[in-house]
Amino acid sequence: MTNYLKEYFDYKAFLLCLALVAVGLLSVYSATFDVGAAGAFEKQVVWAGVGLLSMLIAALFPIRALQRIAFPTYIVTLGILLVVLVVGKTISGSKSWFGVGGLGGQPSEFAKVATILALAAFLARTTTSLSNVKHLLIAIGIVVAPMILILAQPDLGTTVVFFAMLLPVLYWAGASNFILAAIIAAVLSAAAALFGTLTFLITLVIAGALLYLTRQNRFAAAVAFALTLAIGLSVQAVYERLPAYQQKRISSFLNPELDPKGAGYNALQSKVAIGSGGFFGKGYLQGTQTQLNFIPEQWTDFIFCVPGEEFGFLGASIVLTLFAGLLLHGIKVAYLSKNRFASAAAIGVTGIFAIHMLINIGMSMGLLPVIGIPLPFVSYGGSALIANMVMVGLLMNFYANRKEH
Amino acid sequence: MIYDEHFGSPQRRRVLTAAVLVIFGVLLLRLYQLQLLYHGELDKKSEENSVRALIREPIRGYMFDRNGELVVDVGPAYAITLIPFEFDKPGGGLLSSLLKMDSLTLEERIARGRIYSPFLPSRIKRDVDIRTLATIEEYLPILRGISYEIESKRVYPARAFATHLLGYRREISDAQLAQFSDYYRQGDLVGIAGLEARYEPYLRGEKGYEFVSVNARGQIIGSFEDGKRDVPAREGCDLLLNVDIGLQAFAESLMTRNAYTGAIVALDPSDGGILALVSKPDFDPSILSGVTPAELWSQLQSDTAKPLFNRATLTRYPPGSTFKMVLAAAALQEGIIDEQYRIRCTGAYRFGDRTFKDLHVHGSVNIIEAIQKSCNVFFYQLILKVGFEKWTECGRRFGFGRITGIDTGEETAGLIPSTAYYDSRYGKGKWTQGNLLSLAIGQGEVGVSPLQMARYAMALANGGTLHQPQAVRFIRNKRTNKLEEVSHDSSSVGIFPEVIALLREGMRRVVQEPGGTGGLARIPGTISAGKTGTAENPHGEDHAWYVGFAPFDNPKIAIAVMLENSGFGGSKAAPLAGLVMEKYLYGQLRRALPRPAPTKPDALKAITQAVR
Repeated sequence: MTNYLKEYFDYKAFLLCLALVAVGLLSVYSATFDVGAAGAFEKQVVWAGVGLLSMLIAALFPIRALQRIAFPTYIVTLGILLVVLVVGKTISGSKSWFGVGGLGGQPSEFAKVATILALAAFLARTTTSLSNVKHLLIAIGIVVAPMILILAQPDLGTTVVFFAMLLPVLYWAGASNFILAAIIAAVLSAAAALFGTLTFLITLVIAGALLYLTRQNRFAAAVAFALTLAIGLSVQAVYERLPAYQQKRISSFLNPELDPKGAGYNALQSKVAIGSGGFFGKGYLQGTQTQLNFIPEQWTDFIFCVPGEEFGFLGASIVLTLFAGLLLHGIKVAYLSKNRFASAAAIGVTGIFAIHMLINIGMSMGLLPVIGIPLPFVSYGGSALIANMVMVGLLMNFYANRKEH
Repeated sequence: MIYDEHFGSPQRRRVLTAAVLVIFGVLLLRLYQLQLLYHGELDKKSEENSVRALIREPIRGYMFDRNGELVVDVGPAYAITLIPFEFDKPGGGLLSSLLKMDSLTLEERIARGRIYSPFLPSRIKRDVDIRTLATIEEYLPILRGISYEIESKRVYPARAFATHLLGYRREISDAQLAQFSDYYRQGDLVGIAGLEARYEPYLRGEKGYEFVSVNARGQIIGSFEDGKRDVPAREGCDLLLNVDIGLQAFAESLMTRNAYTGAIVALDPSDGGILALVSKPDFDPSILSGVTPAELWSQLQSDTAKPLFNRATLTRYPPGSTFKMVLAAAALQEGIIDEQYRIRCTGAYRFGDRTFKDLHVHGSVNIIEAIQKSCNVFFYQLILKVGFEKWTECGRRFGFGRITGIDTGEETAGLIPSTAYYDSRYGKGKWTQGNLLSLAIGQGEVGVSPLQMARYAMALANGGTLHQPQAVRFIRNKRTNKLEEVSHDSSSVGIFPEVIALLREGMRRVVQEPGGTGGLARIPGTISAGKTGTAENPHGEDHAWYVGFAPFDNPKIAIAVMLENSGFGGSKAAPLAGLVMEKYLYGQLRRALPRPAPTKPDALKAITQAVR
């Protein structure tokens, strides 16, 4: 019986996930218990319950069927994102002068899952080869389509997450270093184009070096460099033609530290909070710093302050270890899976978790710019929690069926 | 099969595993650095030098009238703030006596602040006088967690009230706060009426933030990083108005002098700019300049004189004879009659088994004389020739039945009856041509606002253009020093110029010729034109109306006057219109003011004074 369980039940993923959800519930409770956000904790508990159920369903779903519905689901998801975009726009148009924000965060959480599965299904086709340019472009297109719709919402954080998921999956599926270098070069140049000529030129040099070092033939390298240059220049041209207010919106987007509402201030406070935790922390619910300043991000984007301050280095490093364990386990599941669809999807899931963790914890500790993305399983928020638990369910599913082709 | 041999290869697994370990390592190292290496410093910062963001309120935008006179100013108001976490209960007694606040209210405010944040200052009393502030300041060393903030309140240097035009602010409601929590916080004042509401996003500016270090007791011990991270507040934009505040004050004084209830709206016929907009009774807006006490607000709301109600834009009364130009325009435009067409007025008109009376026997009149003398019999017969649909259509051409798009806030669209309306109101075939006769002379179901009537007067003045009435002409951004012109819509009524010319001639005779009903609107030295009206009121005395413009050849001002329950338009409304137009055209009156109508006691004034 125990052997049977070990064979088919991925207790590692399950327990790691539950532990992280528990950390999340403790943290949300601590961050909200006396600041008038009553009900946040109770809601999170309910969502965790829903997440658990969804996780089990995802774990038991037949893989073949999953693979078959991957594309249709993906198309429907694109449709929903489009509707959100259009409806969202009309609402803000009629909402007179205050504008509206944050709409459509929910569908984009589930779009992650749908996109991973569609990409994996495409890469798993026996005829797909990443050395074929057409196939490569389709694979990139599958990720870029929802990315554009989400960027337009606008949600920079989620967009970054999508891009970060693409790279490991392509790498896993056999893409050459040159292809990865070309993609990175193109994105770097598009982003750098918005930061002025000097940054753009330096980026071009770096991109050129990357392409040169990974080149397989000179012609392809030259074409890739020309494309990189063209993308950068056209982004610049489009940007310059935008009306001033849109330019401003983009620049404050790329540099959230300029935000007058004090994103920089939040980051600073969070650094102080984590640092003041010391080795053992101040004790549960005793983190005065965490609760000193009421900012909504304290139970969403800056949730890591809570374990950091209240449980100290001991607690925070355990949280980090839980994440690292989950990521390494995800890679292992991908490696063990004989089914290429499952294997690629497992890497996609792992990539999503990794980038979320890196950016979120990195920004809490002042290592990375403040881009608003939540910490998986821990941050307050229903749709993200459920989507993340579904992804763990998928990992469990792939583990159980790892020996099947 | 082009299976890629690199797919999921052991080497690729090693690379990804290494990537995860690198990420883990970097984060762990940083954690180590913050929590163990820098712990002492950061812990000290947390305990002794916490950073706190203090909100710096922006200065709200000013308003200037068309001559550059300051109409709405800003002055300081002092708010006492309290940090719930630091405040000791024993200090409560002292505080409540200093603030002259009962301890229950004080406790309730502190509890509310605690919900917002136990660690941040929240305002427990706003707009305290300077003497209270000075006393509090003396006691600060023993009152922990107490401080004060400088806020701004409105100051009205002008002689006019212009309450309904300028509008006012109140503390933001919980519903608005829930919706707009990204900018506002509890207790913020937000425009809820008039220009203060409509131009709120321009007027309010942007809040600034000042970062200060505070010690463990919560006392500010200095600015944080020498204020390098501070974000200065941004001043709100100024509004440059079309309004002539001197004219506004004069028009208000005429209404107050006579204790009239009603409205005066004066527009610039060339662009629809609002020169004056009076609604009486009103109240001194400075009683709402800062934080409005709840009892004052409920008093204003329950006052039977309805001082909060903007009669200039929201009332819907029949316009009486002032509406006759609509029917005349329909008849002339459609070629149903021309100026030669005459009717003999015998002082009454029999239709079916009813007799419709006129005030006088006018004899043989054509359309111009019918307007001049306001001959009902002429128009009774005319509407039967013109027909219901054409009349309705012409009314709509002059903008009745739809809003004007004024930028001061709420307005009514009014009502212009149509066959469809009658069918639904009385039932198909249940109404007769007899109903039309009332409409011919602007009685019955027609409902118009004084603002719509002023727009109508404007179109007659300028030859047929309806401009969207705007109180604000420019918005001045004080950061960029740019003037942004507020655009307005304009549309043509689509009536032939010859037709408008005939209507104008009729209106000129109303004022200038013997036998006209509006002789009392005459302006010495200037030819003006207009039309009187008396709206029958089944509930009491008739409402007096007057619409007009001046000078006749090159109109500079178009006006509508509506006086509730005051009697004849020609005797009550017309003289007021004449005086207001004279004041605008000459800058002053060149004659003595007529004696005021017998006054009724002004209940509202008593309230206003009691509160102050």
